[in-house]
Amino acid sequence: MKKKSQKALLIILAIIIIEGILSIGLNHELQVGFDEGKFVIRNIESKKSIQDQINHEFQQYHMIKLFGKFIINWSVLRVILFVDLFLILFALLVKRKMHLIPGKLQIVAEMIYSFFFSLVIETVGEKKKYFTPYIFTIFVFIWLCNIIGLIPIPGNLEPTRNLNVPLGLGIMALMFVHYSAMKEKGIKLYLKEYAEPIAFMLPINVVGELAKGISLSFRLFGNILGGAIIVLVISNLTRFILIPVGLNLFFGLFIGTVQAFVFTMLVLSYTAVAIK
Amino acid sequence: MSEIVRAAALLGAGLCMGMGALGPGLGEGFTAGKACEGIARSPENAGLITRTMLVGQAVSESTGIYSLVISLLLIFAV
Repeated sequence: MKKKSQKALLIILAIIIIEGILSIGLNHELQVGFDEGKFVIRNIESKKSIQDQINHEFQQYHMIKLFGKFIINWSVLRVILFVDLFLILFALLVKRKMHLIPGKLQIVAEMIYSFFFSLVIETVGEKKKYFTPYIFTIFVFIWLCNIIGLIPIPGNLEPTRNLNVPLGLGIMALMFVHYSAMKEKGIKLYLKEYAEPIAFMLPINVVGELAKGISLSFRLFGNILGGAIIVLVISNLTRFILIPVGLNLFFGLFIGTVQAFVFTMLVLSYTAVAIK
Repeated sequence: MSEIVRAAALLGAGLCMGMGALGPGLGEGFTAGKACEGIARSPENAGLITRTMLVGQAVSESTGIYSLVISLLLIFAV
């Protein structure tokens, strides 16, 4: 048993190393060694000005053309695929050794799952407990996306820093809310709710529904990007010595966890309002 | 001419962030104070109160985040 888990750990380590090798040449964020006689711990393309660095943070250039038509932002997609791979591996590892008396991994998984299970039951009621897998998955995914920037691999930026990722998550959450409302109420009652006080209010209600998704995604995006820019500016001021570690802990771990939880909680409460 | 526009954009970004941070700061502090009162009154509900407080703070923070996005746009896109 122990050898198997060691094997799994080795596999995960190998994936991390492979990801690091793949990402060489994307951008030179990390550099350890001697530069002009001085020991350099971390050096983000020091020839550029801070303005260019922040512009670079915004853009995350590494586009790949697929079939000559689709353009894929590989530097974001790579990290998302890594997160997905990690989640799938974790799920397989937990599922392979399911027991009545749980092991270590199973305890962790059961703890997170039962927390969200009780949250769903508290918010939308006992009958709607089939919402739990979606809620659980969206939390774990956003959480891992937010904290993956802590792993010091070159080019390992948080995917949620790019607006496209939170926008996609927000659209997905909005579709989930409206689909469950339609399923719960029936399509006639659902459409009738838009003209609720008087028919004149129709456009305002539609805009209000769209603003939910936009505010969800912009909240996540703004928090992560703002934290990243603050870390970058202060690292530049302090020459990358010691202080950025604490800042990374605050912005990566604390803000990342809180924002992931807030995203899930808001999706859940929007759903609870919509199906009421 | 473009320098004047750039200066105005930077000034606008500073003003936007400063004014936009006023409301969320007040609101979040007020929420945290009320949550403290609630926890002092009934410590057994501390987990629920903290959770609700975090969600409420995140919602009231969103206007601050909007102003952050606007000022970032003013700095980097204008």
